[in-house]
Amino acid sequence: MGLFFIRVDSREDLDVIIVDGYVDFDAAPALKQAIAGRIDAGSRHLVIDLSAADFIDSTGIGVLVGALNRIQQASGSLAVVCTNENIRNVFEIVGLDQMLPLHRSRDDAISALARAA
Amino acid sequence: MPRADVGAHGLQLPANAQELRRAREYADQAAASFGFDEAERFAFVFAVNEAVTNAIRHGTPDEAGTISLRVGADHDRLTLEVSDSGPFVTPAVEDEAMPDHGRGFALMAKLVDEVDVQVGPEGTTVRLGKRRHGVLNPTGAGHRG
Repeated sequence: MGLFFIRVDSREDLDVIIVDGYVDFDAAPALKQAIAGRIDAGSRHLVIDLSAADFIDSTGIGVLVGALNRIQQASGSLAVVCTNENIRNVFEIVGLDQMLPLHRSRDDAISALARAA
Repeated sequence: MPRADVGAHGLQLPANAQELRRAREYADQAAASFGFDEAERFAFVFAVNEAVTNAIRHGTPDEAGTISLRVGADHDRLTLEVSDSGPFVTPAVEDEAMPDHGRGFALMAKLVDEVDVQVGPEGTTVRLGKRRHGVLNPTGAGHRG
């Protein structure tokens, strides 16, 4: 229970960051760097897809909050895909579900961002 | 470099973020053996991961450069102690930005039934305890009736 992968799917008007595995204190910096890289490159609409994530700890949640703050400052938008009920429960405990939209599919998240754009 | 060691007294881990995986595996094995269901296992492992992360980030490893994990159980409760040689760092839960440290501690408190911090001259021990079938209600609502 330790592997972690990130893949970025760049589209015409948004980027999808696909996270696979365990997002912990060891892995969170790589996620932060991937997100910052897209924002620095000019991306203003991001989907972070956690469908394949098995685990995300408080440092990973901190990365999501930081990403939300950065992209809002840039007048952009961020959506998260999360299908794991245990992870959703954790997000609800810390109120993340009140801070950013949680979707159950990538298509839903992309559609929501397209409507917001 | 110190190596992970599982002995009769628990698990000794190098105080290194790359060792979090081993801490989670140790906690998950204990939780599965104890009979926790899938959601309880996730909650227990999550809380242990937060406590070990805290020890790695803010604690002080012992002279061998390790932190210690020790599992215990009674008839309805599984416990896991995380020990390091440093002083306890109070989480800044009052911070509106809710930094990772405060968020992690708040999550521990919600996901297990007991979070006990013991600070002594030899360091800090965080003891996490979770009862069997004590499934968390994430809304915080209690049982009715």
